[in-house]
Amino acid sequence: MDRLFRPLEEKLSGVVLTPDQFTSDDQTNFGRVYHWTPRFVVRPKTHEDVVETVRFAREQGLFVSTRGAAHSQSQLGISRGGILLDMKSMDRVLALDEKADTVDVEAGVVWRDLVHHLKKHRLVPRVLTNNLGVTVGGTVSMAGIGVASFKYGSQGDNVVEMDVVTGAGESVTCGPDGPEADLFWSVVAGLGQVAIATRLRLRLRRFKSLTRTYYLLYDNINQFMADSEKIMNDSRWDHIESWSSPCPQGIKPVDGRRQPFAKWFFPYHLTVEYEDGSPPDDAALLDGLTPYDNLYTDDIPTIDFFERMIPVFELWKKAGTWDFIHPWMECVLPWDTAAAYIDQFLVDLSPGILIGGHILLWPAKGPTSRSRLFMRPEGENLVGFGILPAIPPGYWDQVRPMLDNASRLCIEMGAKRYLSGYIDFTPEEWKTHYGDKWDWFAGCKHRWDPDGLLNPGFVPLPSAPGAARKG
Amino acid sequence: MAAKFGTEEWATALKQEINDSSEYRNAANKWGVDFNGNLLFVFEADEGTPIDRSLMLRLSGGSCHEAEFVETTSHPDAGFVLRGPAHLWREILERKTMAATAILTGKLHVEGERMQLLKHTAANRALIHCTASVDTGWD
Repeated sequence: MDRLFRPLEEKLSGVVLTPDQFTSDDQTNFGRVYHWTPRFVVRPKTHEDVVETVRFAREQGLFVSTRGAAHSQSQLGISRGGILLDMKSMDRVLALDEKADTVDVEAGVVWRDLVHHLKKHRLVPRVLTNNLGVTVGGTVSMAGIGVASFKYGSQGDNVVEMDVVTGAGESVTCGPDGPEADLFWSVVAGLGQVAIATRLRLRLRRFKSLTRTYYLLYDNINQFMADSEKIMNDSRWDHIESWSSPCPQGIKPVDGRRQPFAKWFFPYHLTVEYEDGSPPDDAALLDGLTPYDNLYTDDIPTIDFFERMIPVFELWKKAGTWDFIHPWMECVLPWDTAAAYIDQFLVDLSPGILIGGHILLWPAKGPTSRSRLFMRPEGENLVGFGILPAIPPGYWDQVRPMLDNASRLCIEMGAKRYLSGYIDFTPEEWKTHYGDKWDWFAGCKHRWDPDGLLNPGFVPLPSAPGAARKG
Repeated sequence: MAAKFGTEEWATALKQEINDSSEYRNAANKWGVDFNGNLLFVFEADEGTPIDRSLMLRLSGGSCHEAEFVETTSHPDAGFVLRGPAHLWREILERKTMAATAILTGKLHVEGERMQLLKHTAANRALIHCTASVDTGWD
């Protein structure tokens, strides 16, 4: 038995697992690009368990990595020889304050469970990710983007208070303003580099019982963007969601090899919430928009709208592609280069890459976010673009250079990568990504995680001199 | 029969390859239409190549109007210059290195309006493919 097992277990009310008890899920994340084996998996029950784990790790010279639903695709949510804190075991919904429209949750609460917990109060978190099977702590540490982000920013922007455990093992309550604001904003979108959130107070909003979604279709990106400006600049819409969708046209040479190619369309789903008996005025809502086609209008309960992607994910699971490699390449593009980048990328993209995946578009408003570490280009209007493939392992070496170049090209065209996906930055590229925030981020790391304990192996923030770890 | 790299014969073969390529014609139909799309490839001398060589390509609307080796490493008619060591160019032409990777990682130095070049990556990929398709004899 590992000599540290008993001493660690005795400190905790939660569970400690050793490698003989691990499943394959404990050793990789949704990306399935990296496979690392931790020394221990800890499933904490309480904030104190997290404190004790971090202090124990410091004493013993071990790294601590954190995971929620492990939806990341690079070197996050996994541990090579250290302690992997599986936060899903902290999954209690705590106090609901209906006057303030806030709810306190433990970091391991899954968004879908929270949505169901709150629905009887007609309350919902202001921003939900498309995939509701991820945890509150996990997405807030990344930023957390959803179909209401064009109004409300990231999920991290809608946290009003957090309890965290720093890399030094200290408990701190922090908020977006006030004396601990630096700590707060280095945890939001901070990739678990300075502290571990254990309790989060989330801002909520009241929702109406029904949604109406207009399934519009655009046949060119420039028209799509022109209408996106109108859509984001008025208050008609509650949710906006879009994709790139291929209409296969045949076979053509790309780099000398004949492969399928497509005409790409841009489905645009615009949604409003309404109460039964007060349906929206379709003509007024769509006035001024110029889609290629208006395909369908869908009325469903709002709670079903929140869960609209679940059947898609179920399909991917049944088809087996859920277990493929997911090197998702997501970025936020400046408005003025977005159309050129998307056109260049799609023109030669084989539609077959979308088996078990899709290409996301999300028009966004930069100023809706205060997050310091959710890096995005300057400018009011932005376009999120995500290539979300599922790659059979045997094709990974073939696809990887294409994705690497797609990443480099978007950055050259002024984009910032969204960091939950497949990232293979050099140290210099990391600095470029964070720009003038790099030194601030590194300073936060030094201040709150002086031994460089937390989530190593991804962002190469400089560790304190002399910091040495066994894990 | 392989054309020797750096010769008029090779440049002529490349021009033919470009103009015979439906991939290039389609991908590059907007290249050089409202801007100067002429490219100068500069093969800088290195260990295996004693002297600098440059290839001037006059391109617009999906066609190559002229391909010739020139003795200078800059040219007043060039809209863009792609400059790199000869061994890197050979890796690109032998398809061991992707041109896009070489450009995006800075191994190939670009002179000219870089954003314009990036906005036409499909055209330039097709061009490099044509270049790599020439049956080449090396020194």
